[in-house]
Amino acid sequence: MKLNELAAQLGLECLASTPQADQAEITAGYVSDLLSDVLAHAPRGGVLVTVQVHLNVVAVAVHAGLAAIVFALGRRPDDVVCARAREEGIALYASTLPAFELVGRLYAAGVRGTAA
Amino acid sequence: MTPPAVVQAALDCGLSMVAICDHNSAGNVAATQEAARAARARDVRQSTDADPCGVLSVIPGMEITTAEEIHVVGLFPGADAAQAAATEVQATLPEVDAEYYRRFGPQRQLDARGRLVGMERRMLAAASTLSLAQTVALIHRHGGLAVAAHVDRPSFSVLSQLGMFPTDAGFDAIELFVPCGWPGGSASRPVQDPQHWTVGGLPIVWSSDAHFLNDVGRCRTAFTMMAPTFAELVQALRGVDGRSVRGA
Repeated sequence: MKLNELAAQLGLECLASTPQADQAEITAGYVSDLLSDVLAHAPRGGVLVTVQVHLNVVAVAVHAGLAAIVFALGRRPDDVVCARAREEGIALYASTLPAFELVGRLYAAGVRGTAA
Repeated sequence: MTPPAVVQAALDCGLSMVAICDHNSAGNVAATQEAARAARARDVRQSTDADPCGVLSVIPGMEITTAEEIHVVGLFPGADAAQAAATEVQATLPEVDAEYYRRFGPQRQLDARGRLVGMERRMLAAASTLSLAQTVALIHRHGGLAVAAHVDRPSFSVLSQLGMFPTDAGFDAIELFVPCGWPGGSASRPVQDPQHWTVGGLPIVWSSDAHFLNDVGRCRTAFTMMAPTFAELVQALRGVDGRSVRGA
């Protein structure tokens, strides 16, 4: 499913995006708040669900080749983080749902984790 | 880990300076400073040639858990400054209940002789709601030094939580806990040479991160400076006038 369709289906609030990111096809995802873990294991082109709002989440997303980050549980990054994400072409979304619930809904929409 | 026991352990292994860094608390700093003064007075009475090396300098500190669950060591110019910083950190922590003490153990405040004088009422094992940036700013606002704690550990470190080191975080130093002489420590890795091990140009300190008496001194830093004081520590980390820092 395309990122913007996924966001609409899950009722995510867009914090940063680009037309290109909107059209990205999302098939894989990862959930973690430890950015060292994200760096090592997140799937390229995937979506990350996290409560980690430090600026490094964008840098790590770029390194890992992620398409989008969804901040769970009402966590919101600073404007600086959103601006950096726009520059880097990473889409940011916010949700008041807990991470577990978000991941469940992403899975139901066809997004999968990478097989171990 | 009572104040007099910590002081004795430090003196026994030849340390001249320690920092007392309880998690999210500075509640045992003043008592440990007093215990060090008491040990000094006792040594002077027992010795004819008052050996200045017997003095233990106790730097007020606190190991703060940020919202990102990064441990940041704050080192402060005085116990009052450390306590003021601790009060701000603790305002963001939940209050304890009986269940908490049962699971995490009591959070004792002791006096200089090791007697129980109170209990910390906030969950010191919890993360504060202060971000890394807010934590570093808080430490600096109280005149302190902000040290990225045990960056070589797989948990609660800047690298584990943030994936890469933010060079603009405002840290004054980086702490390693590689115990010198351990396998993988200084004997086989060049961790002692700060020229080879710097991140963002920051000085490196080696600390024991002691949670038990046996850990005291298992890893240490040699500072070349005029006296074991906080003011000299600040200058040593900046390499002022020939002062320096290296693993020992």
